[in-house]
Amino acid sequence: MKRRDFFRLSAIASALVLSSTRSLALTTQPQNNRKVSSVVFPQKKPLITYSDRPPLLETPRSGFTTAITPNNEFFVRWHSPKIPIPRYLSMFSLDVDGEVNTPLVLSLDKLKNEFEAVEVTAVLQCGGNSRSAFKPQTSGIQWGSGAMGCAVFKGVRLKDILAKAGVKEGASWLGLRGDDTPILPSAPSYARELELHEISDDVIVAYEMNAEELPYLNGYPLRLIIPGMYSDSWVKMLSKITVLKEYKKMFYMDTAYRIPANECECETADKLAPKTQPITSMNVKSYIGYPTSHTKIDAQSNVLLKGIAFDNGSGIKEVLISLDKGISWERAELEKELSVYAFRAFSYAFKPMSKGKLTLMAKAVNRRGEEQPFSKDIEWNHGGYKYNGIDSVTITVG
Amino acid sequence: MKKMMILGLLLSSLLQAGYSQNLKVPSVAFDIKIDKDFGAMQRNCQWCHSFGYILNQGKLSKESWHKIVVKMREVYKAPITKEDEKTTTEYLFKHYGNAKLK
Repeated sequence: MKRRDFFRLSAIASALVLSSTRSLALTTQPQNNRKVSSVVFPQKKPLITYSDRPPLLETPRSGFTTAITPNNEFFVRWHSPKIPIPRYLSMFSLDVDGEVNTPLVLSLDKLKNEFEAVEVTAVLQCGGNSRSAFKPQTSGIQWGSGAMGCAVFKGVRLKDILAKAGVKEGASWLGLRGDDTPILPSAPSYARELELHEISDDVIVAYEMNAEELPYLNGYPLRLIIPGMYSDSWVKMLSKITVLKEYKKMFYMDTAYRIPANECECETADKLAPKTQPITSMNVKSYIGYPTSHTKIDAQSNVLLKGIAFDNGSGIKEVLISLDKGISWERAELEKELSVYAFRAFSYAFKPMSKGKLTLMAKAVNRRGEEQPFSKDIEWNHGGYKYNGIDSVTITVG
Repeated sequence: MKKMMILGLLLSSLLQAGYSQNLKVPSVAFDIKIDKDFGAMQRNCQWCHSFGYILNQGKLSKESWHKIVVKMREVYKAPITKEDEKTTTEYLFKHYGNAKLK
């Protein structure tokens, strides 16, 4: 290329950069070192605690060395201050109404006894997980990366419930409401809508999590499970399903949990995207559970790095580890795939040779060939959603 | 009357098939700044959430805090007066602001 051409090209390139909505690379690693609280919530171990009312609890990094997250370490996120205690279980029911031939009132016993039980192993992740990575800071809880977990959910196919009620011709949407209800009158209740054609066999109404009844703070007695989607769609304490002819506007769908509807899903604080869409499907991500930045490691000792990786259901193809800040990468050992929607546990054996700081990085690649970007290359959005940067842990070798 | 009471007792024993565990969500004390404007925070915010919810939003610009206050009134129906809208925004920006107006 001629020198002059080169200059012309770079002028065009910089003009393109300036005119696009892309911001300078400001995204950092999310918060990483928060301590667990001494206050313990029901059925939980001590977790990172942001709020008691509503409860907002995060799993510390050390909770991500295995494919299944234990129930007592599983993160918690409610929207409303008062969670009903379903002490009188026999009064609880899941109601199905709207555009159906037979409206249903389903007790827990009915769901367990009159429908086929199925199991789905899937990752539940808050759309705002890792939000603390975004700069400028976006509003919302400044989560580290522990607003996620993976469990075996057991319950009933949503399709089977709808088949029993008989969906009338012309119906195309479902309204799903849980008992995450506000205190002040006329504030929005937690609800989501799904298009009927989005409902696969893997979408279930779960009553069990890791072979126990659902923990109270994770949505007892029933929770909607939508593998591959962010957890804002996984309605907790599910109590009502309404079959609709058409989409109905509501706060949690039309205002909250939305990202820019453009190719990079990005915008700047000065120039917000004119069109937005729900966050829906998860992107590929990995996280190191061991070592953590608190771990002291002796030089020349054998270390087994452990972590987890996942995406929205194509499955994990490989996880790569770098010990030189992303210059060279080596394959981690993948454990068995529990399901395409589950955490895929991985491990990587290494021996730090010299004393000092050592940075460990993990990058997952899914079966579609999509891989995690460096955190600095992640574009900003106003809600601080969908962060999936390459994870980085700096340890001290002594 | 007696019959009713017996029936009531019977019913409640039947209904108590749910959780036997203690499900009380604990209270956490959050270290929030107290000054002359704190009353406006107590009056308006605690209907729906703890102070932890505020502290863990991180440091925000004045405009961001103002937007949040307005959202609390318009979406979540907190009974925030015009005057308290100003007071709470000032308070939040003073103690939990990032020194930027926008």
